[in-house]
Amino acid sequence: MISRKVTNMTTAKTKTRLNIGHEPKAFEKKNVWNVEEITALLDEENGTLDPRIYSDQDLYELEQERVFGRSWIMLGHETHVPKAGDFLTAYMGEDPVILVRQKDRSLKVFLNQCPHRGMRICRTDGGNAKSFTCSYHGWAYDIGGNLVNVPYESEAFCEDFNKAEWGPGQARVETYKGLIFANWDKNAPNLREYLGDATFYMDHMLDRTEAGTEVISGMQKWVIPCNWKFAAEQFCSDMYHAGTVSHLSGIEAGLPEGMELSDAKIPTVGHQFRAKWGGHGTGFYVGEPGLLVAIMGPKIAKYWTEGEAAARAERRLGSAERARQLMVQHMTVFPTCSFLPGVNTVRTWQPRGPNETEIWAFTVVDADAPDEIKEEYRRQTLRTFSAGGVFEQDDGENWVEIQAVLRGHQARKRRLNIQMGKGRSAADNPHYPGSIGYVYNEEAARGLYHQWIRMMTEPDWDTLGPK
Amino acid sequence: MLKEKVGPESSASQISTAALLLQHEVEQFYYKESLLLDRHEFNDWFDLLDKDIRYFMPLRTNRTRRDQKLEYSKDGEYAHFDDDLVMMRGRQRKLMSDVGWSESPASRTRHIIANVIINDASDDQEVHVTSSFILYRNRLERQVDIFAGERMDVLRRSDNKLGFMIAKRTIHIDQSTILSNNLSIFF
Repeated sequence: MISRKVTNMTTAKTKTRLNIGHEPKAFEKKNVWNVEEITALLDEENGTLDPRIYSDQDLYELEQERVFGRSWIMLGHETHVPKAGDFLTAYMGEDPVILVRQKDRSLKVFLNQCPHRGMRICRTDGGNAKSFTCSYHGWAYDIGGNLVNVPYESEAFCEDFNKAEWGPGQARVETYKGLIFANWDKNAPNLREYLGDATFYMDHMLDRTEAGTEVISGMQKWVIPCNWKFAAEQFCSDMYHAGTVSHLSGIEAGLPEGMELSDAKIPTVGHQFRAKWGGHGTGFYVGEPGLLVAIMGPKIAKYWTEGEAAARAERRLGSAERARQLMVQHMTVFPTCSFLPGVNTVRTWQPRGPNETEIWAFTVVDADAPDEIKEEYRRQTLRTFSAGGVFEQDDGENWVEIQAVLRGHQARKRRLNIQMGKGRSAADNPHYPGSIGYVYNEEAARGLYHQWIRMMTEPDWDTLGPK
Repeated sequence: MLKEKVGPESSASQISTAALLLQHEVEQFYYKESLLLDRHEFNDWFDLLDKDIRYFMPLRTNRTRRDQKLEYSKDGEYAHFDDDLVMMRGRQRKLMSDVGWSESPASRTRHIIANVIINDASDDQEVHVTSSFILYRNRLERQVDIFAGERMDVLRRSDNKLGFMIAKRTIHIDQSTILSNNLSIFF
């Protein structure tokens, strides 16, 4: 059991000062699941998973503190907020935050909650601001989240009221090649360290040109009544559903006139990666671009695999295979940042209770791609991977039905099979870092749940952090 | 002022028989079009899309009054749909497929089209129409989605059974976060 006493002592010590939040040395939330019970949810050795990981309200609430309060959460792209004062409202777990570009080009992320009475400070999706004024009593914050004006401060407040102490909580902000991540935990490793060997695979989308990537303006949001882990796991580890039956009709929708489904060759060669540390995972086919043509059309497939842009990507990535031959790569950076290099959809899975997830999705393109290619990326990603996308529609169908079935006692009692590829991945591939196995595999999923369990049970980064 | 907003023929004394007939024709077209979707006669519905169709549903965002012009995503930005005929024909193949799981079993839908306003019929061949919709969807055991919004269409005269083809359809949906697991149905 994680000690409550330590927490209480910490609180007591800070009581001599004004007590605005505190830095507990142990988890705050009462642990209704003990460490042994949480650890037993995944049996890596035998390859089984307890379905309550997706449905239990108490686990969900622990997650908010232990996973979403300590992990790097992806909020958007640098080009979402190019100019000083540009902002987006976003979420870290269930906590609303405001992401703002500062005058010195840096980024700030702070809780979207006025510390006076707890009102949401900003109620719009984004824009450009000189300041943020709470619409309840008019407390005003500058774009860095500092409390700068309190109506009737001198007439109505008291001697020990200190504005400097009453700004909303600030999160750490770091970026990786355009993607913006934030973390509440000051003891967490920095972003680069947290991403570890996953950056090698992120670069397949984010670092194909020295110009980097930019976002197609806009963020699509929709709701799927399922646990966030179904989505995160699928993008981390599941090429199996794509190569078997889930997306056959999506492929059909993209076939050129006259071509039959049976003519579309689904590749059989490919790799899956499980991060050495951190729960990140990716997988991809290696070979011909047929499947990319069926998803994104011939223009994008050509741009990705042939011509000057592909040649430049090959020079930057140092490998023709990595630049031109990795097909329909899927990837999750633990816990909720997922994307598909080549398709270039990027999204955060926002937890909304054990039974619901909001998807916040956008598209990135090479910043120096021709306008025609950028436009084609825009049209094809929203045709394929979006709320109405011919591929993504079917993902929603699967996850919703699993979640509905998990209302059942018998359904929750029986452990699920997560054996695929068990004992068959190894960290000995000369070309690809991390633990590498066959493309159809659940090694990366086991990695994701392994990391989830560690974050749920280990309060201290000294044991939890990457070595 | 009202007259300007709803078109030149809104004053009762000035309504021509031709305008009444056109209003009737357009409304009947919408009712029959809706039935094609609601009765799952999808191939006939897709045949109503003209060769230069743009089927477009921009994103809708929460903005301050000052930023109202930014509410809808614009051309070149992210959208819910922005399809041409080739893309729509692909969606048709998916819908008719044996392995199109998101619509097999099919959703039960009901398209209610109302507030039909003809904005411009100056061209013999094309009619610009604004209408409101309520789209009810029920699917599988107990999923229910209700969508509301406005459609801005360009209808083109045709010798098909319904009298028009759809040349443009812009859909403004009354949701910012789509409160559904997917948009696998048509508006």
